[in-house]
This record gives sequence, C-alpha cells and structure tokens, in this order.
Amino acid sequence: MPSHRMPSEADIISTVEFNHTGELLATGDKGGRVVIFQREPESKNAPHSQGEYDVYSTFQSHEPEFDYLKSLEIEEKINKIKWLPQQNAAHSLLSTNDKTIKLWKITERDKRPEGYNLKDEEGKLKDLSTVTSLQVPVLKPMDLMVEVSPRRIFANGHTYHINSISVNSDCETYMSADDLRINLWHLAVTDRSFNIVDIKPANMEDLTEVITASEFHPHHCNLFVYSSSKGSLRLCDMRAAALCDKHSKLFEEPEDPSSRSFFSEIISSVSDVKFSHSGRYMLTRDYLTVKVWDLNMEARPIETYQVHDYLRSKLCSLYENDCIFDKFECAWNGSDSVIMTGAYNNFFRMFDRNSKRDVTLEASRESSKPRAVLKPRRVCIGGKRRRDDISVDSLDFAKKILHTAWHPAENIIAIAATNNLYIFQDKVNSDMH
Amino acid sequence: MEVQKEAQRIMTLSVWKMYHSRMQRGGLRLHRSLQLSLVMRSARELYLSAKVEALDLETPSTPTRCPPLSPEPMDTQEDEEEASPRAAETLARCSAHPARVGRKRRSSSLSNGVDAGLVPSKKARLEEKEEAEDASSEVPDRLLPPPAQAEGAFPNLARVLQRSFSGLLNRGPTAPPTAPPARDAKPVCRPADPVLSVLVRAVVAF
Repeated sequence: MPSHRMPSEADIISTVEFNHTGELLATGDKGGRVVIFQREPESKNAPHSQGEYDVYSTFQSHEPEFDYLKSLEIEEKINKIKWLPQQNAAHSLLSTNDKTIKLWKITERDKRPEGYNLKDEEGKLKDLSTVTSLQVPVLKPMDLMVEVSPRRIFANGHTYHINSISVNSDCETYMSADDLRINLWHLAVTDRSFNIVDIKPANMEDLTEVITASEFHPHHCNLFVYSSSKGSLRLCDMRAAALCDKHSKLFEEPEDPSSRSFFSEIISSVSDVKFSHSGRYMLTRDYLTVKVWDLNMEARPIETYQVHDYLRSKLCSLYENDCIFDKFECAWNGSDSVIMTGAYNNFFRMFDRNSKRDVTLEASRESSKPRAVLKPRRVCIGGKRRRDDISVDSLDFAKKILHTAWHPAENIIAIAATNNLYIFQDKVNSDMH
Repeated sequence: MEVQKEAQRIMTLSVWKMYHSRMQRGGLRLHRSLQLSLVMRSARELYLSAKVEALDLETPSTPTRCPPLSPEPMDTQEDEEEASPRAAETLARCSAHPARVGRKRRSSSLSNGVDAGLVPSKKARLEEKEEAEDASSEVPDRLLPPPAQAEGAFPNLARVLQRSFSGLLNRGPTAPPTAPPARDAKPVCRPADPVLSVLVRAVVAF
C-alpha cells in the first residue's frame, strides 16, 4: 500500500503477520504504528475475483521512550506482532518494540443506541417536563467504527533488546526473547514473568553467542525452540525444569571448513526460526540459506536451499555497507510444501520442497498491476546472460525484503518492501520453473 | 602483504563500526557488538599470522625479533621460548593491549552499553574518554615494531583512526573512513550533544 505522505524512515515496515484465519493482516513500522488490513468478503457479483485487502484500522502502538537510568533512547519500532487466537467477537494481538510488549484489543462497533429518555439526539439533557412517556432505546445501525485499546502492557521484563514473541498453543501464556533471556508471561498478568532461559555468562567477556529468535511449538504447549547467533537451534521442554538452560535437543550443522572466512560466524547466525504447521519441521534462515530441520534429527538439516549464494564472494563489501547484518525472515505455506524468504533488489524466493524447483520474484510497482502475473527473475553471475537477467553488481542492496508472510490456508502472500506492502494472490505457484 | 592490508582494513572498519554503533538510537546492540568483535578478532588473527609468515619468509633462521617489551602483569601466560612463535605471541599480547586495557577499566566493551545504566552517564563518558586516550597512547609506546618492518600494525591503526576522526571533524558526524552509504548516518531524534562530545573526545584522544 503506497504511503500518501513523503516516504520517511518511520514508514519502513518492520513486521508483517496474518492472523489465524488469514482474514486480517497486521503490519508494524519503524514509527511504532500498526496498520491492520482486512480481506473483503468475496463478491457474489464477481465470483472470480478474490477478496482484496483494505485498511481496517491504524493505531499508534508504541512511542519513543527514554531510559533515564541508562541515558538510552528506546526505539518505537515494532519488532514483532503476533495475533492471539480469536476467542470472541474481538480480535487481539501482541505488539512489541525493544523493551515493552502490549496486548491490543480490536473491536467493531456498527450499532448505536437511539431513543434515550433523558437525553436528546445530541446528548443534551432533556427538560423533564417534556417527557411524557417512557421508551426503550433501540440499537440502530451506524457506520462501522473499529476501536483499538491497549488491554495489557508488559513492561520492564527485559534488559536487552526483544527480538521475538510467541503465543503458546494454550492461549494463556506467551514468551518474549531478548539477546540473552527468554521470559514466559501470562496474558492476564503484567507485573511478573518467569525467566525460562538465561544464557548470560557470569563474565560478559565470555559471551560468545546470543539468542536471535524463538517460537513455541504449534501443538505442544511445553515445547519451544530458540536459535542462536552461532547457527544452532535448541529445543526446550518446559516440563523438564523451571529454567530451561539445558536443552532437550540441540540442532547444529558442523561447519564446512573449506568455506571458512572472516565472516563465517556472522553469516551462520540464524535470523529467523519457524515451526511448520504440522509441528514436525523447523525452518531457519541464515544470511545465505534457508534450512529445513526435522525435529527427530539433530545432526544436520534435512534440506538446505541457497537463497543468494552469489553473494558469498562479496561478503566483504556487504560487511562494509552493513548488509551482512540484515535479518531476513522466512515463511511456510499452509501445507508446508513451499517455503519463502526475501532477498535484495526487492526479490523474494520460493522453494517447492517436493519438486525441488525454486523461483525468484520481484515486488515492484511495475510488476504489480492488478491481475498481472509475476514474472520469474534471474540473477546472472557470469557467462550467458539472458535479456531480462540482472547481474549481481547491479543489485540494489537498499531494496531488501526482510519481512514476508504467507496466508495460513491460501496462496496469498504479503511482502514488505521497505515502506510498501505488496499482497500477491493465487497464481504465484504456477510460475515455478 | 595483501592479506595483511586487508586484515588491517577490516580491523579498522570494525573499530569504526563499533564506535558508531554506540550512537545509534536504541543504544548498543549486543548482537551487533558481538558480531563486530568476532570479525575484529578474526581479522587480527589473520593479520598476525600473515605477519608471522612474512617474518618467516624474510629471515628463515630467525633470531628472535621480539620487541623489547615488558608485558603488563595482567598478561599471564608469556612464553619463554625463543623463536618466531614468540614474536607472534608477544605481538599477540601487544595487540591485545588496547582491548585489554579497555576491558580492565570497565567490565567489558560489550557490557558497557548495558551496564552503563548503573553508572551515571557523565561518568561513563569520562571513562570512554580515558579509554580512547589509553588506547591511542598505549599503542605507540608499547608496541615497538620489529626492525624488519618500517611500520607496525598498530601505529598504522592509530594513524588510520586519527585520519578517520579528523574526517569526522571535517566532514561531520556521518563520515566513515571507507564511506559506507549515507543511510548509515544516524538519526535525527538524538540531540547533537553526543556527536559534539564524540568530536571532543576524538580531539583529546589524538
């Protein structure tokens, strides 16, 4: 959705998340705002046109704050949004910045009472002498109003910067992870949380790795996984101990000594971890690859896909321009058969796990006219260059797709390209080559 | 030589990035600091091993070229063997000096941003100023380069840092030594004071 204002840094989208039905899509941005899109019901008049997403609500979730004790500014950027499963007419979501998590309730109002006895239409008190009979106020329809209110504020739980939140399948608890610790919260309790992982060393000089992402298992409420900057995953069972510093399973691939460089450690850091919908697999993203792990095999991933291996020889330049620190996310489709992740030049990649085919697509205004079919793109490294190929050296590293989301059931994807949101529907899969 | 130069360049770049990351909105990021220090360490190791190789190539029957240093008491495990490995190790110890001294002053460069909360900000800035001074003065004093080389690594590093800070003074707060794109330039909301204090510190340090 193009912004009507001049694009500024505050408009840069920092997170994208579908709700559990896919009816709603939430985005958070660097300015601390949340924008929720709602899918219009499919029109009976035009059954071939799928429901499109329109803005449903916009609100300011977080404001910049100042930590006076540490003389540090706390950014208002929304790091993550997670929807709660819907339990009544209202929708709820958790949004977090670096330090504070907030629970927002989104409700609709489409009726208002009319016919009060004591107040007139404008709300002014009536002269009692004019009231001769009693009436029962009736609810009359009104223009839809979406109201958002902060129901809980979970503050002061983290010393370091929060990188992820995850709602438990029990729908009562959730966890939040920062660089060194993971806390477990109850959704109804804001004044305390339980620390379930703590990897802070006694001496900070001994620090060698940090937590980069974490997620609860989709079905087993006692299991969660967290990833580290060293490229490992740890599966923890909350039934085993109160403090889950000892993992139940450690997933780690031995490093290939031939590919070692200055930057090996940076590029092996896992930037995102996602359980499959089935709960059987995990998907991780590091700088150059996405990997699928089987929960039953700790020794190595079962599948590895190269996202942009042509960057391997350019790591030094990418270190210079800070791109090597970019944290890309990854996503599963509803049936866990296709995985998706973003790249540079507004490209995003999809990998079909069954056919082993992959495709590179571009999120750009030119290719995104309504009903346009996305054309597969190719990055050429050398040798034969086809007409529409892009050479590695002309990739625009400022155009990065860090955040993507896939509708839980249908082939609808949401791609955040800097300050623009692209929503692609339906025909994408058929373009795999 | 190429390898050495490249390693040196990366070390310098990493130091600059670490310094610059302190001024970012949201404070020092632990993950980023860790990554930068890992790269710096790898670069340093590569630099030193390349240097040792260069030394080996030049003088195969190495009498030790150890600089006549007296290691600080904190450098415990000093080898007593005479060989180029010793040169490498003393070089390693020396290279660790600026960082070690820095660490001695505060618990760790990594934790500084976090634990600075326990210390009022003015005092934290004073300590940083001290560290910068120590780092720069320490380097030329303690590390006497082996005679085979015209200039050692760390005098160069100091010079490069000096150039880059002069660059800061001349061009303004967003100019880095290797000119990364302008979007690295940091934000708008922070008041100018930290930048001024950075410039003041740079002037004092060099």
